[in-house]
Amino acid sequence: MILSLPAIAQATPSPASVPGANVFTSSLLMSLVVWVPVVVAVAIATMPNPRGRYDVLMKQIAFFTNLGLLFVLWVAYNQFATFLPTMQFEEKVTWLPAIGAVYHLGVDGTGMTMLIVSGLVGIASVLASWGVRERVRSYFCLLLLTQACISGAIVAHDMFVLLLFWGASVIPIALLVLGWGGARRESAAWRLVGYWGLGTGSLLVATMIVYAASGATSFDMDVLLKAGLAPRVQLAVAAALIVAAATRLPLFPFHGWARDVYADAPPGVALLVAGSASRLGAYLLIRGLIAADPDASRLLSPLLATLAVLTVVYGALAALRAVDLRAAGGYLALVPGGVTVFGLAALTPLSIAGSILSLFSGGLAAALIVGTCATLSERAQTRSVQLLRGLAPRMPVLSWLLVIAALGLIGVPLLASYPAEAMILFGSFKSQPAGSFAVAGALVLVAAVVAVVLHRILLGSPNPDAPAVSDAALGEAWYLGLIAGALLWVGLFPGGPKLPGTEQVVFDPGLLNVMSAGLTDIASAYAGPSPAGSP
Amino acid sequence: MRSLVLLPEAVVVAGAIGMLFLGRPGVMRRGRRRYLPVAATLVALVALGIELWVGAVLSSFFSGALVQDRFALFAKAAVLLAAAAAIAVTDWSAEESQPVGLAMPLLAAFGVMVAASSGDLVGLWAGIELAGLAAVVLVATRRPDLGIRLLVTGAVGTALLLVGIAYVYATVGTADLAALRQLLQVESPTLPLALPVLLLFGGLAVRAGWAPYQFARVPVALGASPLGTGVVVGLVAMAAVTVGIKVTAVLTFRPELFTSGLLVLAAVAMVGGGAAALAARSPRARLVYLAVGQAGWLVAGLATDYRAGLGATLFLLGAFGVAATAGPAALGGVEGGEGGLAGLGSLRPARAAALAIAALSLAGAPPLAGFFGEFAVAASLAQSGQFALLALGLLGAVLSQAAALGTVRAAYFQSLPDEARRGAIPSWTRFSSAGAVGLCAVIVAYGVFASPIMGLADQGAKALGLR
Repeated sequence: MILSLPAIAQATPSPASVPGANVFTSSLLMSLVVWVPVVVAVAIATMPNPRGRYDVLMKQIAFFTNLGLLFVLWVAYNQFATFLPTMQFEEKVTWLPAIGAVYHLGVDGTGMTMLIVSGLVGIASVLASWGVRERVRSYFCLLLLTQACISGAIVAHDMFVLLLFWGASVIPIALLVLGWGGARRESAAWRLVGYWGLGTGSLLVATMIVYAASGATSFDMDVLLKAGLAPRVQLAVAAALIVAAATRLPLFPFHGWARDVYADAPPGVALLVAGSASRLGAYLLIRGLIAADPDASRLLSPLLATLAVLTVVYGALAALRAVDLRAAGGYLALVPGGVTVFGLAALTPLSIAGSILSLFSGGLAAALIVGTCATLSERAQTRSVQLLRGLAPRMPVLSWLLVIAALGLIGVPLLASYPAEAMILFGSFKSQPAGSFAVAGALVLVAAVVAVVLHRILLGSPNPDAPAVSDAALGEAWYLGLIAGALLWVGLFPGGPKLPGTEQVVFDPGLLNVMSAGLTDIASAYAGPSPAGSP
Repeated sequence: MRSLVLLPEAVVVAGAIGMLFLGRPGVMRRGRRRYLPVAATLVALVALGIELWVGAVLSSFFSGALVQDRFALFAKAAVLLAAAAAIAVTDWSAEESQPVGLAMPLLAAFGVMVAASSGDLVGLWAGIELAGLAAVVLVATRRPDLGIRLLVTGAVGTALLLVGIAYVYATVGTADLAALRQLLQVESPTLPLALPVLLLFGGLAVRAGWAPYQFARVPVALGASPLGTGVVVGLVAMAAVTVGIKVTAVLTFRPELFTSGLLVLAAVAMVGGGAAALAARSPRARLVYLAVGQAGWLVAGLATDYRAGLGATLFLLGAFGVAATAGPAALGGVEGGEGGLAGLGSLRPARAAALAIAALSLAGAPPLAGFFGEFAVAASLAQSGQFALLALGLLGAVLSQAAALGTVRAAYFQSLPDEARRGAIPSWTRFSSAGAVGLCAVIVAYGVFASPIMGLADQGAKALGLR
C-alpha cells in the first residue's frame, strides 16, 4: 500500500463515474453551506422559548441543520470533478467595488477535504453538546454561527471574505468558552481572543501588504496570490502568514491558548476548535504560502520545520507531565498540526499531498482525542490522571474510543492518519532529512506517552478513592463513533470503495482522489530540485 | 425639486421646536405625551426619506454658502439615521426632560446637516457650534456642572477653531472652501498657513473629544443622561468629522500641513481607546471608550487625504454615528459596573442585543457595520503606505473587541439577579424595544448592504473634488 501512495496522490486522469453524482446541482452550493447555519441561528435566536420549553426542539433544529449540510456536502463531494485542477462550485459576485472586494467562493481538492472535516466535526459537535442545559438557545446559535464562519473561511476565494469569516469565528467561540466553559473559562477565552486576535491582525497586515503592492485594486485571491512581489515584501507577507497560521493551528510558541481551551471549553466546542477551526491555520499556509509563494516558502521552510518538530515534541512531553486528563488530550491534539506543517515545510509534492490528507486525518484525530478525554472525564466525574485507574472493564466503549484516538494520533495502519503521515515522512526524507528523523522520533515519543497514559488510566485495578464511573451514553458513543468511523473509513478506502473486480467506485469517490484535484497547481513549483540562488 | 432640497433641514428644525412646545406642561395630555418619541423618530425618518428622495439634486443656495452635493446627501442621511435610532431606543424614564431630550438630538443633527452642506468656513463653524450647544443643553438637564464643563471645553475648541479660521482667512484671503482649494493648489505650504491649520484641527479635536482630548469629554459623557452621552459621543463627533473631511478635502494638495498631526491623533485614539475600554468596568464607560477607539479610525481615514480614504471615512462615519449615538441610549437606566447588566439578556433580550451589537460594531467586530468601515479605512491606509498606523489600529481593534466581549458576557452570561434586584432592571416601552430591534437591524444591514452605501460614500468623496 505504501509503495502505491505516490500513484494514488496523482489527480485522476479522467472523470470518475460515481453513482449519485449530478443528482442535485445548484450554483449556490457554497453559499448554502455558509449561510444556512446563519439563517437557522437567527431563526433560533428569535424563536419564542418560554421557560425553556423548546430547548430540545432547538437542539433538534441544530442537529438536522447539520445533517442537511452534511448531505449537501456529500452531494458536493460526489459531484466534485477530481480531474479538474481549477476551483469548483465557484460563485463570483462584485461586492464592494470601492475597495475591490468580491464575493468569491469556491473550493479545490484541499478546500473540499476541509469542508468534509468541517461537516463531520460540525454534526459531532452538536451531538456532543446534547447535554447542554443552560441557555440552550444562545449556545446553539453561537455554535451554528461558528460553523458558518469556519465554512466561510474554507470556501472564501477573496481575502476580504476570508478575513471576514476568519475574524468573525473568534467571537462566537470565545463566547461559547466564556459562557459554558469550566473553571478556567475566563483565562481560556481571553487567551483565545488574544492569540487569535494576533493571528487575525497578522493575516490582515499580510493581506494589506499584498493589496498595496499589487496596485490596490482587488482583494480577489486570483489577483493577490499571483501578484509579483519584491523579495523583501514576499518575506514580510510570508512571515505574517506564518504567525497567523501558527496562532490558529497552533504551533509552538503560539500555543498558549490551546491547553485552556481544549481543557475547559464544553466538549462540543473543544471538538469544533480541535477538529476544524484550528485546521484553518494549516489550510491558510497551503493556500497563502505554499501555493502562492514558492520562493518565500523555500526560504522559510527550515523555520516552519523547526516549529513543527518543536510542536510535536512539546505536545508529547507536556501530555506526559499533565495531571489533568483533558489537558493531556489538549496537548496531544497539538501533535497532528505539527505533523501537517512539517509536511508543508518539506516542500515536495508527496509531503504536501500528505499534509492535505492530514488536514482531514489530523483534524479528526485531534477532535477524537479531545472529545474522548472530555467525555471520559465527565463520565468518570474527575479529570485527575492520578485518580483514574482501571477504567477499561468499567467503560469499555470509551476505552476503545480512547485507544482509537491514540492510534489515530500515532498513525497506525487502517486509520486515515497512516497514509497521511507515511506520505509526509516519505516525502520529506530527501528535502528535510534531519527534520523527518526528528518528527519520526517525536512520533515514537508520542506513542510512548500515549502508551503510558493509556496504561495509567485504562489498566490496573480501580482506584477505590475515585468517584463512580459510567460508560458513554448513546449520544456520546455516536458522536465519537462518527469521528472514529470516518478515520477508519478513509484509512480502509482512501481511494474509495470499488465494486469487486472492477474500477467502479461506489458511494464515495475516494478522499485521496478528491483532495488531489488542484494538487498539481499547489505542488508543481516543488516538483523538481529547488532553484539555485532562491532568496 | 430644487426648492425641496432644504426641506429636510426645515422638517428637523420644525420638529425640534414642535417637541419643545408640545412637551411643555399643559399643552398635551399626559397620556398622549408618550407618543412624542414616536413623533420625533418619525420626524427624523421623514427628513431622511426626503433627503434620499431629493438630495441627489445638485444645487447651491445663498451664493454658495450652502451646497447640496453627494457628500452632503451622505452625511445628512447618516446623521438623520443616527438621530432616529437614538431617539427610538432611548429609555425615557432615565432622561430628565423628555421635550429637551427629543429636541436636542434633532438640533444636533441639524448642526451636522449645516456643516455637511456648508460651502465656507463660517458655515462649518456654525454647524459644529450648533451640535455642540445642543449637547451642552442636554447634558445640563441632568448635571448643570457637567454642562458648564462641556461648555467651557467646547469654548476652548471654538476659540482654537475660530482663530484657525481667521488666520486661514487672513493668510489666503477667502473663506470659501472651493476658492480656498484652488488657491492652495498653487500656493506653497508656509508656516503662517501651517499654524492656523494646526489650530483648526486642534479645535476640532477638542470639540469632538478625539484623543488625547477625550479626557476632557469622557467625564461629561459618563455623568450625562444616556441620550446625552450618545449625543456628546456620537453626534458632536459626527459634526467634527464632517468638518474634518471638508477641511481635509480643501487641503488635499497640501497634505504636509496636517497629515503628521492626524496620524499621531489617530494612533493615540485607536490604541488608547481600546486599552481604556478593556480596563473600564462600567458598561457606559466601555461604550464611550470604544467610540473613542473607532473615532481614531475616522481620524486615520482623514490622514489618508485622498478619495478612497475619505470615502472610507465617510462610510465609517455612518456606522460610527449610529452605534455611538444609539449605543449609550440603548443602555438606558442600567447603571453601575458590569453587574448592572446581569440578566439583561434573558429579561430584556431586544435591549441586550442592541447593546451587544452596538458595542461590537464600535469595536470593529465582523460582520457588523464598524468592521466594514474599519476595513475600508485599513485598505486606504495600506494604499498610502501607513503600515505602522495600520498595525497600531489592529492592536486597538483587538483590545476593543476583547472589551466588547466583556459587555456581551455581562449581559448574557452573568447569572440572573434575584427577585429584589430584578426590579432594578428598567422596563422599556414597546416602542423603545422595537427601536432596539431596529437598531440591531440597521447596524447589521449597514454591513450587509455595504456595497451601495460605500458606493454613495465614494461619490460623496468625489463630490469634494477628490481623485
